[in-house]
Amino acid sequence: MAEFKIKKGFDIKVLGKPNPEIEEYAKPQLFAVYPNEFEGLKPRLKVAAGDRVKRGDILFENKKNEKMLFRSPCSGTIKAINLGARRAPIEILIEAGAQEESVTFETYTKDSVAALSREQMVDHLLNTGLWPLIKQRPFAKIANPETTPKAVFVNAASSAPFQADFSAILKGDEAAFETGLAALARLTDGKVHLCKSAGSDIPDFAGAVSHTFSGPYPSGNTSVHINRVSPIQPNDTVYTLPAQDVILVGKLLLTGELPRTKVIALGGPGIKEANRKHYRVALGASLTKLFSEALETDTKQRVISGHILWGDIVTAETCVRYYGSEFFALEEDRSRHLMGWTMPGLLQYSSHRVNLSTLLCKSKKWKLGTSLNGSHRAMVVTGWMDRHQPLNILTDFLVRSALAHDTDEMIQLGILETTPEDFALASFVDPHKTDVCKIIKQGLDEIEEEGI
Amino acid sequence: MKFLFDFMDKNIAPLFEKGGKLERLYPLFEAGDTFTRTPAEVTPSSPHVRDSIDQKRLMVFVVYALLPCLFFGMWNAGHLFNINNNVENATSLTDMLRGATMVLPIVMVSYMVGGVWDLLFALVRRHEINEGFLVTGMLFPLVLPPTLPLWQVAIGISFGIIIGKEIFGGVGYNILNPALTGRAFLFFAYPAQISGDKVWIGSAKTPLDNNFLGTVAENVDGVTAATPLAVAAAAEQGSSAIAALGEAGFTLWNMTVGTISGCIGSTSVIAILIGMVFLLITGIASWRVMLSGIIGVVAIGALFNALPAETFSAFSQLPFYYHLVMGGFLFGIVFMATDPVSCAATNTGKWIYGFLIGGLTVVIRVANPAYPEGAMLAILFMNVMAPLVDHFVVQSHIKKRTAYARALNHA
Repeated sequence: MAEFKIKKGFDIKVLGKPNPEIEEYAKPQLFAVYPNEFEGLKPRLKVAAGDRVKRGDILFENKKNEKMLFRSPCSGTIKAINLGARRAPIEILIEAGAQEESVTFETYTKDSVAALSREQMVDHLLNTGLWPLIKQRPFAKIANPETTPKAVFVNAASSAPFQADFSAILKGDEAAFETGLAALARLTDGKVHLCKSAGSDIPDFAGAVSHTFSGPYPSGNTSVHINRVSPIQPNDTVYTLPAQDVILVGKLLLTGELPRTKVIALGGPGIKEANRKHYRVALGASLTKLFSEALETDTKQRVISGHILWGDIVTAETCVRYYGSEFFALEEDRSRHLMGWTMPGLLQYSSHRVNLSTLLCKSKKWKLGTSLNGSHRAMVVTGWMDRHQPLNILTDFLVRSALAHDTDEMIQLGILETTPEDFALASFVDPHKTDVCKIIKQGLDEIEEEGI
Repeated sequence: MKFLFDFMDKNIAPLFEKGGKLERLYPLFEAGDTFTRTPAEVTPSSPHVRDSIDQKRLMVFVVYALLPCLFFGMWNAGHLFNINNNVENATSLTDMLRGATMVLPIVMVSYMVGGVWDLLFALVRRHEINEGFLVTGMLFPLVLPPTLPLWQVAIGISFGIIIGKEIFGGVGYNILNPALTGRAFLFFAYPAQISGDKVWIGSAKTPLDNNFLGTVAENVDGVTAATPLAVAAAAEQGSSAIAALGEAGFTLWNMTVGTISGCIGSTSVIAILIGMVFLLITGIASWRVMLSGIIGVVAIGALFNALPAETFSAFSQLPFYYHLVMGGFLFGIVFMATDPVSCAATNTGKWIYGFLIGGLTVVIRVANPAYPEGAMLAILFMNVMAPLVDHFVVQSHIKKRTAYARALNHA
């Protein structure tokens, strides 16, 4: 049990915080699985359009590791398989049937889980399709089942606008969570770390070491947790997963069936005030109806699977995704302002002191849009990218070495401790509109390709 | 207004966009278009919001910070002209107007010639025009004497922009501060027009230029006025530099207010401080560089004061605080040394970089008989050294972070 105060960081003051109440969202007819959510995965389809599937039937497998399976979240008929570039499947649509049939797996109790070997646990998770929930560092990709990590980090913290509130999600599912933690303990020789935000109402569990993190964003990021508790050195591996996914693992083990639901948080200025809350939704379920009610209609909205700083752009017809517990909507802002470069800046949001609003509107919550607020310029090292970086990384130099494809220096400067998400604030504050996250992503990809 | 913008978007913009007839001139269109209105671009991916600051605002704010220096410099140039040429009925207004006729052409030539070079390189390289030239174009005239021939201004800014910036790839890639590079070039190429005691105050032409700006009662042949630095450097061994300054009419007070001969923008400590406060409040320039630079002057200046009087010239015995108000040091450390491109990038590096600029300025002034102005050379030298300073800071950072990771892993 340790407490960590994160001093460097920045909270973006955006409107639309979801309140912690959880509403049950009625199960729709349409479900979907998105194989392109699994980065770098080469799927081999096991079904075709028109096939009937049970809940838990295999949809596709990993070509590179055939033990890694991906299963159907509902029972019904495959409506369509949509292909993307190079004919890779990107969307499998399933029409729910009237009668639900489920594939069942072995059931366990919390104690019988503890008696399993690492190999049995890994095989069970791979076989049931829940293994991909576990990611590994470095590179933030699906964990390699072969390497035993030095630790597992469970992230129950939230600091970005707006992450789901785990203390609300946990209520009623404590037993499943504990079983999940016990399962994770089988995967590592080291410890399972449970990282929470200060002030959140989450009890301690015997199966994990609890840590509390306070401070502004990114105090809830897994990279920060790992850096403070057990920093990654070259050749280290760490497994990570969000706390809600531990509940899913626990439910699978306890019930012997695939978990049915998870909770998502819906927030942001593009969501109507009445709809800014948490919803309990079926895994893979279509959210079309929810978004058609919840989205503001006065302007064009961008829907993000994730939060304002980190997430994928999706359509309002999206289904619940395999990863992530939050959706965010904000205005697609293409408006143009007269002489923006010299106006006093009372109506524009900035983290810098060049706008009057920074000095005068300290407590205001802003209705932010997606405008780039400027145009791309050559990168100049101002030191601002590093201002909100709690990871003790010389951000500017790391970016520079990534641009120079200097893998040795990137590793020395600590790129292995990071994911592109850790540079969201650096991208945000940069006056030259440099896409820092993308540069870091390329750097990580290069290192992965060349080997450490 | 809206009608005009709609017309632009519909009829003018497609000409410059890809496939349009004037595609090659896109940078020019982009500059004008985003000058009038913020661009309509949206974030391509995460993070989905961006700060409202951009390069334009950043650079324009530096220009704002320079305005007090510009206006004071204009007034001062006219004021000194009127006094030294015995102009009758001179008022503050005619001082200002007279100064404007001397200074504004220099500023305009600097912007026009510099702007043309920037545009040319942007067109050839097919990238947008960087707003950095707004600052360079203003900084450069402010470190020139008000009497500099305009053709030299044009040559100086050309050298600064091309050799100091563009051959490295443009803003963001340059090693030296472009404005200072241009000045250093003029300093060594045309010393007669930028140093000595004849260049700081304009002299009335013959026949007398009597007009609404005032009447020249008696034509003076070649107004001479030395700068404080030259006076202090010329003080004889064993004499008092303060006394020498006093004899030449320089006191701590008038050097602070700035009613003395010198470069256009750098004589008034008060005007520079106003700009400095603006830069610090808006957080644009690095306070670390400014503070450590001043500490450097104080420390090395005090060190010279403590040495026995006979070791160096009388200049070395001048109390250290005089160095802060004399010459171009303060202007240099506030506006030139803080240029984020040529300055050290790490925080520790900034402390070292600033301190050495301050220290070197005093060393060059006191221990080097050839050039009384040390700040320009000190800043250029440290511009060159900044990557080396950063290199050592980064190496020590890597050592520290490795040790931190090891310690926590073996705990």
